[in-house]
Amino acid sequence: MRGFGEIAERLRRSTVQVFADQRRGGGSGVIWKPDGLIITNAHVARQRQLQVELWDGRRFEGRVLSQDPRRDLAMIRLAAPPSESDLPAATPGDSGALRPGELVIAVGSPLGFSGAVSTGVVHSLGALPGMGRQNWIRADVRLAPGNSGGPLADAQGRVIGINTAIVNGLGVAVPGDAVKAFLQKGARPSLGVTLQPVSYGLLILDLDPQGAAAAASLRAGDILIGSFDSLSDALDSGRDVIRLQFFRGDRTKVREAFVRLAAHAVAA
Amino acid sequence: MTNELAALSNELAAVVEKAGHAVVAVHARPRFSSSGVLWRPGIVVTAEHTIRREEEITVTLPNGTNASATLAGSDPGTDLAILKFEGAPAASIQSTSEVTPGNLALTIGRSEDSGVNATMGIVSAVSGPWRTWRGGRLDRYLRLDLTLYPGSSGGLVVNAAGEALGIATSVLSRIAGLAIPATTIDRVVDEILSRGRVARGYLGVGLQPVELPDHHKGLIVLSLEPEGPAAKAGVLIGDILTSLGGTPVADTDDIQVVLESHGVGQSVPALVSRGGVAQTIAITIGERPRRD
Repeated sequence: MRGFGEIAERLRRSTVQVFADQRRGGGSGVIWKPDGLIITNAHVARQRQLQVELWDGRRFEGRVLSQDPRRDLAMIRLAAPPSESDLPAATPGDSGALRPGELVIAVGSPLGFSGAVSTGVVHSLGALPGMGRQNWIRADVRLAPGNSGGPLADAQGRVIGINTAIVNGLGVAVPGDAVKAFLQKGARPSLGVTLQPVSYGLLILDLDPQGAAAAASLRAGDILIGSFDSLSDALDSGRDVIRLQFFRGDRTKVREAFVRLAAHAVAA
Repeated sequence: MTNELAALSNELAAVVEKAGHAVVAVHARPRFSSSGVLWRPGIVVTAEHTIRREEEITVTLPNGTNASATLAGSDPGTDLAILKFEGAPAASIQSTSEVTPGNLALTIGRSEDSGVNATMGIVSAVSGPWRTWRGGRLDRYLRLDLTLYPGSSGGLVVNAAGEALGIATSVLSRIAGLAIPATTIDRVVDEILSRGRVARGYLGVGLQPVELPDHHKGLIVLSLEPEGPAAKAGVLIGDILTSLGGTPVADTDDIQVVLESHGVGQSVPALVSRGGVAQTIAITIGERPRRD
C-alpha cells in the first residue's frame, strides 16, 4: 500500500525510548514539540530524571515536568535538546473524530525492540468498566509492555492516542484529546495513592509520601468508602479540599479525612 | 494528506458503522457480555457457548437501550443460539457466499459500555461442508485470521464491502476463530423457530469401521441402545452395516450424512451382513436424546 512505509517511518522518528534507570528497559514516548517536549505515560516516567533515546540512538537527559497518574500521562523536557529541525515532532490528530474500524498504527519499543510497528483497527471507544468516566481508545493491535507511552496514530500518521495498557489482549490508549487537555490545564488533582477495589470500597495499597492523601494522614490499609467514579467526581469538582470517608481496621466505625488537593498546574 | 490508506480506513469505519446497526450486546453470562446479530425482525442470533443462563437474558440494542430477551432455542452442534425479543428494530443483513482466502474480514461486536466494536483480519481458509467436533454441520468452513476477544463471539463477520459472511465463534476450532456461514444460520433459525430445536437423527448404535473379507468396508455394531431405533428394528450386536439408505457406509461420518438427509421418523433401509449373510433391515430414524 502506497504511503504506508512513509507514515510508519515518520512515526518511528517521532517515537523515543524512555529509560528510568540504566539496567531496566523502559517505555516509549512521543516527541510532541520540536523544542524538546516529550509525552509519555506516568507509569513510564516514575522518576524526576530519566534518559530519552531518539530513533537514531542519540541519548538525552530528560526531566519530568508534570505527571497525571489518573490519566497515566507525563511530560518530559529534554535538558539540552538538539536544534528544532533535528527533533521531528509528531503531528497530533483529532481523537474525538475517531470511529471503530479505522486503521491505526502503533510504534514503540515492545520488549526492548526499538521502533517496532504494529497495525490494526480501532476496536471501540469509551469508558472502561471500573476505571472512572474517562474515555479510552481500545485498539485491535498487538502491543507488548515496552509500547507504553508510545504513539497510536491514524491512517495519516497523526497521533490520536498514547498506548498505555493491554486489557484482555486489546491495546488501550489515552486519547489524544486528553493529552491536549493535560498540556493546557496540567495534571488533574490526585490523592497520590494506589487503590484496589474491594467489596465495600477502595483499599489503599500504597501511597506517595508527598501526596495529598499522606498529608491528610491516610495510611496504607485504609479503605475509602465509595467507587472510582465517585472519587473521580470529587477530585474533579474544583474544590480545594475534599472530604473522604474511610474505614481503618474496624469496619463498623466510619472515619473522615479532609484532603487538601495541591494545585498541580505546570506550564509546558 | 490523503492517500489510499486513509481512504481504506474511512471505508472500513463506514462498514463498521453500517453493520453495527444490526449488532447487539448479549448479557447471558457472568463477567463478559457477548455479541449478537439482529438476523431477522425480533430475532437475535448469537454464539451458543456464550449463553450460560436461560433466564434474565438482556440485549443492548444499537440505540443503547436494553431489552429483555427469551431463549427460543439453541443448537450446540453449530454453536448457535436464537433469542427473541419484542419491539425489535428492523435491520437488514445482506449476506454473501462469495469469499476467498485473503479477503479482508471484520468482526463487529457490541458492548454496553463502549458501543460498537471491531476487529480486523483476513479470511484464511474456505472449504466445503464441515462437521464440528460438537456434531453439527457447517455448510462451509470459513476460517478467520483475526483476533476474537472475549466479547467478539456472536458478532457479525463482514467483508470489506460490508456483506455478511456469518457469525463469529471462537469455540468450534482450536486453532482459529470461524465464521458460522449465513446459510447455516438461516437453516438453524428456521428449524428452531418451527420446532424449538434442531432435531438430529439417531440410530442408537455404537459402530466401528471394519474391513470385510471381500475388501469392502463396513461398520460393525459394537453396542446397541436398548429400545433404540436400531434395536427395535432387529439389528443385533455383531451385525456389519454396509449401506444405509442406499449409500455405502465405511465411516461413522457417512452415517451422519445419511441421517442429515433423512428426517426423524423416516424409515431407511440398512444393508447388514450377519454371519456372512446379507440382509436388509428397515430402521425408523429416531431423535438423538438431548443432554440437558
